[in-house]
Amino acid sequence: MENVIQSVPDKRIDKNAIKAWRISGFLFGLLFYLIPGIGFLLYMEGEIDYWFAVISGWVALFFHLTAIVVVPGVRWRRWHYNVTEMGVDMYRGMFIIKRTMIPINRIQHVDTKQGPVYRKFGLSSIRLSTAATTHEIPALDDETANHLRDLISTLVRQVREDV
Amino acid sequence: MSEFRRQHPVAAIAQLLAVLKQNIVTIIILFVVGSRNSGDYFWYFFGFGILSALVIGFFGWMRFTYRVEGDELQINKGIFVRKKLYLTKDRIQVIDITEGLLQRAFGLVKVEIKSAGSGTESATISAITRSEAGELRKILRGETVSEKATTSTEEAVESEDSREITKSWRLSGKDLVLAAFTSGNFGLIASILGAISGQMEEFINEENLNYLAERLPGYADSTLILWVALFIFIVSYIISFIGVIFTYADFKLERNKKEMIITSGLLERKHTTVPYNRIQAVRFVEGVFRQPFGYGMLYVESAGFEQQNKEKSIVLLPFVSRKTLPGFFKEFLPNYHEPEALITPPERSVLRYIRRPAYLLFVIIPVIWFLWEPGWMLFSLLIPAFAFGWLRFNDARLNFDDRVMKLQYRVLARTTAFIQKNRAQVTQLTVNPFQRRKKLATIQLTAASGAGGINFSISDLDYEDAISVYKWSVEDNNEYHSGFPSG
Repeated sequence: MENVIQSVPDKRIDKNAIKAWRISGFLFGLLFYLIPGIGFLLYMEGEIDYWFAVISGWVALFFHLTAIVVVPGVRWRRWHYNVTEMGVDMYRGMFIIKRTMIPINRIQHVDTKQGPVYRKFGLSSIRLSTAATTHEIPALDDETANHLRDLISTLVRQVREDV
Repeated sequence: MSEFRRQHPVAAIAQLLAVLKQNIVTIIILFVVGSRNSGDYFWYFFGFGILSALVIGFFGWMRFTYRVEGDELQINKGIFVRKKLYLTKDRIQVIDITEGLLQRAFGLVKVEIKSAGSGTESATISAITRSEAGELRKILRGETVSEKATTSTEEAVESEDSREITKSWRLSGKDLVLAAFTSGNFGLIASILGAISGQMEEFINEENLNYLAERLPGYADSTLILWVALFIFIVSYIISFIGVIFTYADFKLERNKKEMIITSGLLERKHTTVPYNRIQAVRFVEGVFRQPFGYGMLYVESAGFEQQNKEKSIVLLPFVSRKTLPGFFKEFLPNYHEPEALITPPERSVLRYIRRPAYLLFVIIPVIWFLWEPGWMLFSLLIPAFAFGWLRFNDARLNFDDRVMKLQYRVLARTTAFIQKNRAQVTQLTVNPFQRRKKLATIQLTAASGAGGINFSISDLDYEDAISVYKWSVEDNNEYHSGFPSG
C-alpha cells in the first residue's frame, strides 16, 4: 500500500510528530464548534430547528475526534522524505498522495521554524523556498532539522546556479 | 552619469495621465452618473481631484532623482516617505522602454526596469530623452564578469558585436488583422461589468428599463436582456479587436547574441528587452478561435516582476502558425527544441478524461432541474462536455530528452510548454484514490514566472511514465539514486 509510487524515499519524520499533531489537532478542532455554536444561538432565537444544531454538533465532534485520533497517525505513516545531493524528495498526503522533487540547485533559501507545540516536543519544521514555490518538511527533531538545514545550504552552495 | 538628476518635467503630467488611465472606467461612470445627478457640485469635486493629482505629480517629480553609479541604478523618490531604490545590474531581468503618446510629443520615453526577487519594486523612470534611455540601457545591460560565466553555453567568445541584430521577425498586416479577429479576449467585459456592478442600481433601475421599453416597443423583458447581452458582447469584441490592433501594430522581434528585443504598438510603442539567460520557459497557446486555423500566441516566462503586475508573461509572438514554430525556435530560441521521447496517457485513462469536464454539470443541472422544470434538457450539454474531455485526452502528451521537456495539454485553449531541465523548479506527482486503483498519476512541473510560478500539468499518466518524468529534473544524465545515503 505504501509503495503506490515506487521507491518511496526512505527517511521518516520524528515519531513525536503524532503527539504534537494530536495537540494541535485538538486546538485547531475547537474551531469546528463554531458552526454548531452559531446554530445553537440561532435555535435560541427561534430561527432554525433544534435538530440542525444537534446534528452539526455531532458532526463537529466527529471531525474533532478524527483530527485528534486518526489524522496524526496516518499523516506520520505516509510522510517520507530524502535529501540527497540531487534534490529534496518529499512524499506525503492522506487521501491524495503527493510526491515533490526539488532539485538542489533550485533551492533559494532554507530555514527551520518551531511553533509552541513543536517546541514542547523538541521538533522543528524545515522550510524550502525556490524561485516559484515554498515547501515544508514538518516535525523533525531539532538536531536532524538543524543538520538538514546546514546540509541543504552546503549542497546548494556547491551547485549554485543563477535564477 | 554620476550626478543625481531629475526627469523631464513631463513626468509630472505622465503621472497624472497614468492615474486617469488606471481609473478610466470609474471616471466614465462618474461622468455619466455625476453630470446627471449632482450638477456643479460634481465638477468642483472632479476639478479638485485633478488638481491634487497634478500637485502630487509635481512634488513626485521634484523628489525623483536617479543616477547610475558603477553597476548600480540608484533612485531617490517619495514625497512623504523617502525611498532609496538601488538596483544592481546582475539582478535586472527585463528593461521596457515605452513611448507613450505624451512622451512622444516631447521626444521622450518611459523606462521600466524589472529586477529579480519577489517583493522587489520595479523602477520606473517615466520621462527621459531617448538618448538617455539608450545610454541607460547600454550601461545596465553591458557585460559583467558574472554574466559572462552564466552565458558561456550560449556563446564562447564575447565581443563588441554581441549587440548586433542577427535575426528579426515581423508580424504581417494580414496576420495582425487575423490576430485581432481571433483574439476572443473578453476579459474587458469582466472589468467593465465589474466597475459597473458597483453602480448597478444607477443603470438598471425601473426608470431606465421603462425608458428603454418605451423606446424599443414590442420587446418583452427577457428579449430586452438578451439584446443588452448581445450588445455588450459585440462592443467588447470590437474593443478587443481594436486593442489587439493597437498593441501589436508594427510588431517586430529582433535578437542579438544575448537578448531578444520586442518592439510593438501603434500609439504607444513599447520596447521590451528579454535577456536569454533570464528565460524560464516558453509557452505556445492555441486559443479556441485560433487553433482551427493552426495559429497561436507564443509567450516567454521571465522571473521576478513585482507582485501586483498581472501581466507576468511576455508575448514573444502575438500570432504565429504552429507549423513555423520549429524553424522559429532554431533561429530565435536555440536552447529549445522538439524532444523525441513521447509519453501519452494510457488507454485506461480515457474514461477519466471524458468524465472530468462533466462533473460540474452533474452538480449544477440537478439544482437547475429542481428549480425549473425543463431544466433536465440541459443534460444535452453532457455531449459537448464528453467531446471536450475526449479532445483533452487526445491533446495530452509529453516529450522529453536530456535537456528539454515539452508538455502539451488543454484547459480550454491548448497549451504547449517548453521548459529546460535547469529551469524546472519543482516537479510534483499526485495520485488520488481513484487514480491509485488504475495505477495512474498526475505530473506537474513548475517554472518561475513573475514573482511566483507557473504550473504545467498533465493528468492520468501511467505510473512508470510518471516516475520517469518525476526523476527527469534531477537526472544529471546519471542515474538517480533514491536511496542515496546522506548524513
